[in-house]
Amino acid sequence: MDSSQKAQQLKAARALVIALEADEEKQAQIQLGILAQSQESDLFHQVGKLTRELHEALSNFNIDSRLIDLAETEIPNTRERLNYVITTTEEAAHKTLGFIDKSIPLTSKLKHITDEFDSSWHRFRMEQHSTDEFSAFEKDIESYLPEVKQHSDQIHNNLSEMMLAQGFQDLTGQVISQVISLVEEVESNLVRLVQVSSQHLEHKQKDSKPVDPIKAEGPQINAENKPNVVSNQDDVDDLLSSLGF
Amino acid sequence: MKILIVDDFSTMRRIIKNLLRDLGFNNTTEADDGLTALPILQAGGIDFLVTDWNMPGMQGIDLLKAVRADENLASMPVLMVTAETKREQIITAAQAGVNGYIVKPFTAATLKEKIDKIFERIDAQ
Repeated sequence: MDSSQKAQQLKAARALVIALEADEEKQAQIQLGILAQSQESDLFHQVGKLTRELHEALSNFNIDSRLIDLAETEIPNTRERLNYVITTTEEAAHKTLGFIDKSIPLTSKLKHITDEFDSSWHRFRMEQHSTDEFSAFEKDIESYLPEVKQHSDQIHNNLSEMMLAQGFQDLTGQVISQVISLVEEVESNLVRLVQVSSQHLEHKQKDSKPVDPIKAEGPQINAENKPNVVSNQDDVDDLLSSLGF
Repeated sequence: MKILIVDDFSTMRRIIKNLLRDLGFNNTTEADDGLTALPILQAGGIDFLVTDWNMPGMQGIDLLKAVRADENLASMPVLMVTAETKREQIITAAQAGVNGYIVKPFTAATLKEKIDKIFERIDAQ
């Protein structure tokens, strides 16, 4: 309520008291009318202010296109990204477990071969071999050595594959970092939304960010649906060779 | 032959380091982004650079450009090993003078093939 309005009300109230004391009914009615009218105008003023606030809050809500973009595009993308994390970690775990499964029997075979040689070698050292036994021992060595080499190579290869499968940590780490950034952005937008709905804020619509075609994006989700994205090393090689690379 | 491996993920650096060791390259050193890699390169003694693209600080593409712009480093072979698969990115890397481009996830055979190719070209020059 502004001061002139207050003064007007006080003046009317005093005049009302004087009129009532003097038993001037007509004058008292006039002063009551003035007071009621001033009350009403104050109410209209308040309603008007609230309407304006509501309107501005709604406008602010509408113009925050980034928030809409977050809800419509980024959140579904995040769902896809997190699904990618699940799929990639699952594949890596299965791949690693698969190579462990392949390696265990190979180490068992190597142990078996070593055990066989151990007893034979012991008898050889003790010079307990007959000529026939010695020639059988020689043949065993000849047949087992390539087998040992083959199993060792296979185990080495399996270990390398297991190591490569750990690349999932890099790929999923990049995706999770993106999700964390998005969560932070959603959080700050929600905080702003709360501020906007509780009081007026100077609010400027964010300029749409300029698109940087080579901005690092990490692993592409749904690469097969994106025409500007290659899907494997062969595509990369083809593209580079088309550039005379 | 001393190789610098640049990637922000220590697991990936370890994988590349182990694969390079299998290929006979035992002398490797590491950095976790372009900003830490550049002083190592400028200090000298590095013969080959393997770098990721997407890293905090200085990204791989900017490291590549910085290497090509430095007269002492300009001729260094650079292999990019990255999850970045947009055509614009691959073309940009090629134009910036990358010697090989491998997309993650990759295989040991791919790494060997690209490194062999890079050295074949260098030897032919």
